[in-house]
Amino acid sequence: MVTRWIVLVALVLAAIATTPGPAQSQAPIKIGVIEPLSGPVAASGNYVRMGAEIARDWLNARGGVNGRKIDLVIEDNKSDPKEAASAAEKLIVRDRVPAIMGAWGSSMTLAAMPKLEEYGVPMVVETSSAASITKRGNPWIFRISPPSEMEALGLEQYVDKLGVKRADFLAVNTDWGRGAISAFGDMLKRRGAVVGAAEFMDQAATDMNAQLTKIKGTGGDTLFLTTAVEQITLVMKQAQEQRLARKIITTGGSSSPTQLVKQAGAAAEGSYHIVFFMPWFPEAMPDGKLARMFVDEWSKRGHPFEGLTEGFRGHDGIATLAEAIRVAGKDEPKAIRDALWKVSLVGVNGPIKFEKDGPAGKESGQSKPSIFVVQIKDGKVALPW
Amino acid sequence: MTRAGRVVPVLLALTLPLWLGSPYFLHVVIMAGIFGILALSLNLLLGYTGQLSLGHAAFFGIGAYTSALLTLRLEWSFWLALPGAVAAAGLAGWLIGRLALKLRGAYFVLVTISFAGVIALVSVNWMDVTNGPLGLPGVPAPALGPWSLRAKSVYYYLVLVAVLLAYLVCRRLVASRIGRAFVALRENEALAESVGVDVTHYLVLAAVVSAAMAGMAGSLYAHYTRFVSPEVFLFSYTVTMVIMVVAGGKGTLAGPLVGALIFTALPEVLRAVTSWQWQMLAYGVLLVLLVFFLPRGIVPALAAWRARNAP
Amino acid sequence: MNGLVLGGTYALLGIGLTLIFGLMNVVNFAHGEFYTLGAYAAFATLGLAGTHFVAAVLAAIACGVALGAVCELTLLRPLRAESIDTTMLVMIGVWITMQNGELLLWGGVAKSIPHPFPTAPLVLGPVSIAPLRVFVLVLAAGLIVASYLLIHKTQLGMAMRATFQDRDTAALMGVRIGRIHTATFAFGSGLAAAAGALLGPVFLVYPSMGDLAALKAFSVVILGGLGNLPGATLGGLLLGVAEELGAGYVSSGYRDAVGFVIIILVLLLRPAGLFAKQERIG
Repeated sequence: MVTRWIVLVALVLAAIATTPGPAQSQAPIKIGVIEPLSGPVAASGNYVRMGAEIARDWLNARGGVNGRKIDLVIEDNKSDPKEAASAAEKLIVRDRVPAIMGAWGSSMTLAAMPKLEEYGVPMVVETSSAASITKRGNPWIFRISPPSEMEALGLEQYVDKLGVKRADFLAVNTDWGRGAISAFGDMLKRRGAVVGAAEFMDQAATDMNAQLTKIKGTGGDTLFLTTAVEQITLVMKQAQEQRLARKIITTGGSSSPTQLVKQAGAAAEGSYHIVFFMPWFPEAMPDGKLARMFVDEWSKRGHPFEGLTEGFRGHDGIATLAEAIRVAGKDEPKAIRDALWKVSLVGVNGPIKFEKDGPAGKESGQSKPSIFVVQIKDGKVALPW
Repeated sequence: MTRAGRVVPVLLALTLPLWLGSPYFLHVVIMAGIFGILALSLNLLLGYTGQLSLGHAAFFGIGAYTSALLTLRLEWSFWLALPGAVAAAGLAGWLIGRLALKLRGAYFVLVTISFAGVIALVSVNWMDVTNGPLGLPGVPAPALGPWSLRAKSVYYYLVLVAVLLAYLVCRRLVASRIGRAFVALRENEALAESVGVDVTHYLVLAAVVSAAMAGMAGSLYAHYTRFVSPEVFLFSYTVTMVIMVVAGGKGTLAGPLVGALIFTALPEVLRAVTSWQWQMLAYGVLLVLLVFFLPRGIVPALAAWRARNAP
Repeated sequence: MNGLVLGGTYALLGIGLTLIFGLMNVVNFAHGEFYTLGAYAAFATLGLAGTHFVAAVLAAIACGVALGAVCELTLLRPLRAESIDTTMLVMIGVWITMQNGELLLWGGVAKSIPHPFPTAPLVLGPVSIAPLRVFVLVLAAGLIVASYLLIHKTQLGMAMRATFQDRDTAALMGVRIGRIHTATFAFGSGLAAAAGALLGPVFLVYPSMGDLAALKAFSVVILGGLGNLPGATLGGLLLGVAEELGAGYVSSGYRDAVGFVIIILVLLLRPAGLFAKQERIG
């Protein structure tokens, strides 16, 4: 009886005490990944993960970085900021990762940020759009996704071509949606357009008819839509039912036009979408060959095509970190951070190079990603002009 | 329990940061402590008065936001913000207590859920005050004179003191006349009323203390994670609290604490042993199994086992 | 108009839950998951070649009934002697398990259920509504009527009503309480699955769709009074319509607050529910 207890306790202690052995030169380089793999945005988190895995496999096939293989340690933040912070802590302390990519949602990223400063570990932000992320004076943050202001700037050149004179907004009631409304609203006003109604929908809402009725009454010519692809589908279907005849422009890059064509059908016809990757025209991307290879590898793995508009972020995030590790020559957090300021590479989205953003002395890094506009025409995704 | 049996755990708890080693484990223990306070507070209502509040996350969130806002916007010291958070949450508890004093059982549950829902929506939409979904980052860590309490090992002691405080309050309350009135209410309300127990008075009291305690937990949480967003009102937090109380053993004093320790550690253990696809599924299955085999909760089951095996 | 469609499905969810909660005294946190399961079952059935939409709905109901019965037999019956909190906790465990099981099986990407109806809306005067929604409303109404018939016209229904009113007497009269419990839970779960299968094509199918639905179901149960079927029906319709109208007048961010505020008001002013005549089913 006693022996049984001793054995049990010993086993438990052994399990707890098992920590990774000292890093040898041939031991793999670990990169932490924090994404929402369960909960309401599980689809997006998983697409990013899939993209990250492709990057890892390509890197390892080419011999790894500095002669060592790349190992991704993947954690689920369950779409909850508290979990994102716990995951970051576990990755840094237990798994001893020298760098992380994450955490998809802006509030999840914001929650993990204090941990980065506490332990001195850099993180590449691949999706979050809140401006505050790079303005908070956290020198361990490097973002490759555009904040809403940058997105709005990217669209500015097309405002006249699109003929936007009077715009309304319908956005999901999160930091992302609100940020988009404010950024695009400011940009439109600068161009002399009129901003009409700004309506919100709850993240889990499925019925937006009331908001659409209000929007219908403003007499605008354009509706800016900022939310996840599932809600976009619902909004389009309901807009069609209500016979809301106006231009729809989706922002944020997560709108997956392919999925919209499949699920919203005719309701999506004529709509425009701001995307950061055009898997339908990979050759039109800044590095056409890389983009084409990515699209082919993705479909070879049987991943759904509609996930490409988000999956590339995972690839570019890992590629950026790998390049930084190569430049740094070692997988040590501070060295990687310093190296991130020096990297200049071309990802699936385009050139990646970080510029200073935020309060002096504690700047975060912000890259300037390429922004594209596509349109759904005749049930297919097309370049609008 | 022998002398040693009592002293050793106390010594272990007091010296924890020294021997625990990994700051990650310390993080888990701190979170367990904060949830322990929450579980104790819920237990007051659920275990002792028999009323289930499924809106307890509201009090937690009110405490967190109040404390964060007082230190961020009004630049109060943490030591003033904490009582402020406790007071705000207690006030909310008083409101619920008074409003819902006519209701029992399922109806009370629903009012608490609805209340939590409304508060959550307010926090998301009242941009001017709460910053809506963008949340409040950069909540300052507490400071004691010139020393900052930001470091985990130091914060642990703060949480430990708070847990002890909460436990003592519960124990005093339960052992007192008030506590007996609670139990009388739980067991047979009509009878209690007939012997002169002022039902509404005691229910409101329980609600206020319970909410205030939850508010304290909220403040501790806000200054530890240093980021508050509307996600604190997530129903999943309330569900977690309920799990901790009922699985730990409601109506006991140690039950919620044991429940908090186990169910804070469990997701982290699962994180370590399984890949992300199976974590939550395993959590659900384990929960079902636990309830199935220990329906009264862990602490009562242990007590029963000890009683059976007593010489 | 849309309020009625939503309301009809809320009613289905509410009827099922009010029976389970009222008769068995179980706080069924997993009710939303049977709703989700129904939607996924319909999706899976339609994935098999050439099945008709109505067949898919029936398959979904069958799934709900079967799994509900299994749940009751394996989990609830052995725990029947325990307190309400224990059964509630076990249903929480079932909820977590089912939702993550669905996540594992079908992935987090939302699925859309194909339906055979044209998408062009029907226009009736000032109101335009999609034919699919009309179908959903009709089918929901049909199921509600069927539930009534079950409760009032069949032996099983009579036994259920008797058990609800006075368990001990019913047992003395020979009613097999255990079987009634299984039947009640299975029936309630089947209705939830039906609601999921019906709303699936209108919206989209994803693992967490049941959470909000379950909350609405609980509200409907309280609005209508525990165990009160017409109450649940009317309550469901009322909630659906109120949400639609409310969102038109109140800032859309606070839309869900309308439902909550209504609940709070009802509970404060008429705690037995809006429509309770007396505590009974039917």
